[in-house]
Amino acid sequence: MNSFIKTGEPQVFVCGTALALILVMTLTLAGVVLKNGLGYFWPRQLVQFEMKDGSRLLGEVRATERNQLTGAGQIQIKISNRDLYGQDFKWVSESDVASRSVPEEAILLERMEHGNFAGFLKKVEGEGVEYLRTGSAVKDLALAVEAVREKMKEVAAVRKKMISLNYKIEKRRREIQKLKFRDISANSAAISALEAEKEKLESEFNRINEESGRMEGEARRFYGLFADASGTEKEIALADIIRIQTPNSMSAPEKIGAYFERTRELLLDDPRESNTEGGLFPAIFGTIMMVLLMSCFSLPFGVIAAIYLREYAKEGIVTRMVGIAVNNLAGVPSIVYGIFGLGFFVYGIGGSIDRLFFPERLPTPTFGTGGILWSSLTLALLTVPVVIVATEESLASIPRGIREGSLALGATKFQTLIRLLLPMATPGIMTGMILSMARAAGEVAPLMIVGVVKLAPALPFDGNFPFFHMDRKFMHLGFHIFDVGFQSPNVEAAKPMVYITTLLLLAIVAASGSMAIYLRNRMRKKYTTSHF
Amino acid sequence: MNDNLFKKSRRNDRIAEFLIKAGGILVIVAVVWILVMIARVAIPLFYASDAALTAAFKLPSRPALASPLAFGIDESGKEIYLLGRDGEFHFINTATGLPAGSLKTLSPDAGGGKSIVSVETSGKSGYNLLWSDGTITSAYLLFKAQDGQVSGTGIIHDLVPGEATFPATEGVIESMARMNGESGIRVDRLSLRKFRANWITVEKDILGNEKRSETGANLGADIRENVTAAVLDHAGHYLYLGNDKGELLRFDLSEPGAPKLLETVRVNNDKSPVTALNLASGDTTVVICDKKGNCNGWFPVTAPGAAEYKRLQLIHPLPPHDGSVTSIIASPRDRIVVSTDEKGVINIDHLTSEKRLLTLESGGSEVKLALSERGNMLCAIDESGNVKIWRMNLRHPEVTSGTLFSKIWYEGYDKPEHVWQSSSANDDYEPKLGLVPLIFGTLKATFFAMIFAVPLALLGALYTSQFISYRLKVRIKPAVEIMAAIPSVVIGFLGGLWLAPLLEKGLFPFFLSLIILPLLLFVAIFFYRAVKPSSRLGCMIRGREFLLIIPLILAGIWISHSAGTMIEARLFAGDFKQWLFNAHSIRYEQRNAFIIGIALGFAVIPIIFTIAEDALSNVPRNLSAASLALGASRWQTAWRVVLPSALPGVFSAIMIGFGRAVGETMIVLMATGNTPIISFSAFNGLRSLAANIAVEIPEAPLDSSLYRVLFLSAVLLFLFTFIINSAAEVLRQRFRKKYGRY
Repeated sequence: MNSFIKTGEPQVFVCGTALALILVMTLTLAGVVLKNGLGYFWPRQLVQFEMKDGSRLLGEVRATERNQLTGAGQIQIKISNRDLYGQDFKWVSESDVASRSVPEEAILLERMEHGNFAGFLKKVEGEGVEYLRTGSAVKDLALAVEAVREKMKEVAAVRKKMISLNYKIEKRRREIQKLKFRDISANSAAISALEAEKEKLESEFNRINEESGRMEGEARRFYGLFADASGTEKEIALADIIRIQTPNSMSAPEKIGAYFERTRELLLDDPRESNTEGGLFPAIFGTIMMVLLMSCFSLPFGVIAAIYLREYAKEGIVTRMVGIAVNNLAGVPSIVYGIFGLGFFVYGIGGSIDRLFFPERLPTPTFGTGGILWSSLTLALLTVPVVIVATEESLASIPRGIREGSLALGATKFQTLIRLLLPMATPGIMTGMILSMARAAGEVAPLMIVGVVKLAPALPFDGNFPFFHMDRKFMHLGFHIFDVGFQSPNVEAAKPMVYITTLLLLAIVAASGSMAIYLRNRMRKKYTTSHF
Repeated sequence: MNDNLFKKSRRNDRIAEFLIKAGGILVIVAVVWILVMIARVAIPLFYASDAALTAAFKLPSRPALASPLAFGIDESGKEIYLLGRDGEFHFINTATGLPAGSLKTLSPDAGGGKSIVSVETSGKSGYNLLWSDGTITSAYLLFKAQDGQVSGTGIIHDLVPGEATFPATEGVIESMARMNGESGIRVDRLSLRKFRANWITVEKDILGNEKRSETGANLGADIRENVTAAVLDHAGHYLYLGNDKGELLRFDLSEPGAPKLLETVRVNNDKSPVTALNLASGDTTVVICDKKGNCNGWFPVTAPGAAEYKRLQLIHPLPPHDGSVTSIIASPRDRIVVSTDEKGVINIDHLTSEKRLLTLESGGSEVKLALSERGNMLCAIDESGNVKIWRMNLRHPEVTSGTLFSKIWYEGYDKPEHVWQSSSANDDYEPKLGLVPLIFGTLKATFFAMIFAVPLALLGALYTSQFISYRLKVRIKPAVEIMAAIPSVVIGFLGGLWLAPLLEKGLFPFFLSLIILPLLLFVAIFFYRAVKPSSRLGCMIRGREFLLIIPLILAGIWISHSAGTMIEARLFAGDFKQWLFNAHSIRYEQRNAFIIGIALGFAVIPIIFTIAEDALSNVPRNLSAASLALGASRWQTAWRVVLPSALPGVFSAIMIGFGRAVGETMIVLMATGNTPIISFSAFNGLRSLAANIAVEIPEAPLDSSLYRVLFLSAVLLFLFTFIINSAAEVLRQRFRKKYGRY
């Protein structure tokens, strides 16, 4: 044994164990996220429990647990119906269950508020909306909900008009404020004209508001009568129902359809119920827009700095120190960038912009508060080193002979750079850009300080002039995870949403990371031939 | 045309060179700029206080204004007011020194020509007036900016009558009173050694009838020396009396009719008489000044002898005056006290930090002082009626290097401690901005992360660079790089919401796996010994050992889970955590340093791994080839030849990982309880500097002390990581120089 240890094979094994542990941990992480994220949208059986005390429960079985000491089993059931029971989950002990059944007609409703409803359909009532009546109650309900949804779409269209009107009114209000601030007497004519315009818009707004209220009231007259497992009746307005499922009688293709429908909603719809349900669209949009905006700042500066360091700066102590500084910049904690962004961009530059251009709105800040512009600038600063390092590396990997050949043929340095070096270094620069984007997409700490919010009232890009609203706050996938997972009042119910967001974020980051690595490897292969 | 082309390209070249250089230098400037900008916000913390004399004039010679009973100043410094013996508040414009109106207080009854005997100031601008017939009335003076405009030119003063009056009593020299709704207390001074307390209590019986009763008690029996100074706290519960033998008496008056002398403390060694007393904001600390010029802050703490109540103790000695202290007042907003001595020197001190902020010369004698409500204006009037007004800019008196980094004895604590508590629900709290718990938390999190990550990452890197088969290596490296790209918020979320509850449930199986996994490994090695390296199996295993180990680890986890729960049920009654608490009084918090070690460790593993692997792979192949040719085994080559050569690179990998762990925010924020405590237990939570910034900055008002202290902690983080990273970079460059030319 002693000689065996001396050869070192056991030590190699120990090293292998370390690598194996790292891999196991990574795979566990991926597995946990995949399992919890992918599975949530799959329609699950609604099981009805008859308890020994005579009560009944209907819900999805989420977990089972066994007490090691007593051997007693416990079942966690998602009972839904938060408005009836006050909670979404319930633990029951196995010994209390008399029997289980899977009732075919059990129905699961996704609602606008109060979470899901699990129970049975009794009847559909209401007048004024036409829909086909088939024999099946559930089909009737689906058709009625569809018809009501058509109505609600009209309401939504009117609402959209209201938002646009509101924006216009707000604009006039600010214009008036500005004129009043400058010189109230000189601009009195303009002010009164604006006031008249504003009033007209306001009356229009009120008219539309009333109309939408009336339309909504009409649609809301339709309701379904439902009962939960124990028979408690509950009226639910059809307008509040988002999705109807009868998971116990669904076929596999129907389930797949439902799965994709939920995925579509996730990617394209707005969040509901303080972000714990619905879609992620604003967060996805905010993340992408912030990352693109950031690239606009970090890419040119990073590339120029790298070119300077590699091609123009003379070798010496200064260049070396600059190299160290850049590498260091990559190691500075992100929260430090955040606090810098707050002090310099938000309060410093933003405050000055407010004082210069929007003095009439003070003390309400316009640019002097967190926003997408400041967030992207802060993150640009944070990711510039990534771009610099990647560009430098790719420039360094271009063989000397190419530069010398070009210069020998009479090209200027700039021509060499533009025509030869930059095209050759492009994959490297792309790598840097993608890596920096991946980093920015996952970074949360600085954003929390300079402009991310849990729920933004409007996207930073919309149909109102000037289209890009740089001063607006925005939503972000990473912050969504933190906020929903740690600051929402009902963490247990919010968890699936957090897992899905995590999955999405991980997928984005892993995909872009793989792409960067692929590009880099391809570039390496291309130039290694010239090394001898 | 050719000529033109040359000219054009040359010009382009020059322009490009200029632009590129400018751009490059801009980026470098940005690095320095960041540090400068953060430091610029933090540095004003340490600026000295200053004060500007804004007005000096003599009071108009009017009988009503001679020797005023009380006076004050509004916070804009535009007016002062004096309370004359006629019961009127006289306002004086500070710019001109001329009277600007007056307000009459409600005298107990209109006629009779009564005058005021003495006045007690209570709270921000409340006055209890003792009339010559022994009645007490109270009044509050309000200042409002005119027209509601913030920058209004004028101010409006208003007098609000107090809640109740106390009926007449005979022979009172001085008195103090507190009202709370209908009930209240008055403490009267009858002579040098005689005090009397009167309580008014209102009790409701079952039918809702109110019964008003009055009780009185003499404090005389307990007072054996001449009382020189007296102060009653805001609630009317504690009375402090200082006497001319250098003693302080503390009475408990909270029980109507039953005053109790709690203690008599000697405040100085030479029986120098107490000359002035006052309570600092917070109402617990009493500042005692004596004839020798000493001014010290005392408050009750639980004595080591375990008395049934807390005892007064000298906590904050302030820098002394040169002569006898004549008067002391306290700022209503913070822990600042202003005192003056017989020579007219005014000292402004901060109690908690025990720092002298300012010394002002009033130039007169028998000086009386008043502070504005916000504590920014100071007014001094001497016996000949000379008024001086200063605008004080005290900046951040509660922050010194002492309060940031050393133990401070805060009010209500039993001993000096490192505390971070930036805000509280209580109104008169004092912010406790000690950075030590946060620095400790940062280092604790980093320590646990490093002991988890460094062995795994380094051994894994050694394996990947030296032993693994090439085909697997090109797959493993990108996998680890992608692992590095996992956002920290994801790791933090899984650490806080998945791992923490899991580990809480399976703590014992986890510990068991620490024994079972090595055991299994040992068994595996034992069997591996039988496999001949040259055999087909041996060849297959070589370079792929870790693939064999993965199922082993999974098996180990399964065994420790099932065995662990069984053993836990048998030995620890099914609850290992409870057993830990009962047997060793170790409390297990769900989110603790242990979780952080794993989560944060997971985040730094790929960083250390990648850099270390690069360094190990860059050691020239001919070195290891020579070693292998001489007959060394692959482990011997790796351990004795490759690793020592790559040591600087490996070391720099560890340092960069360390720097990353120190500054990581989201993981620490999500996977710890964020409790700023100093505890070495792995099962307790912590709060790191970075997480603290994320938690506190949204609540910190611009340019407040908290805001600046947070920037200071960012500067600390920046400098710390900058030094570590620079050192690592220098090491790495050296390493590159050594082997770069192969």
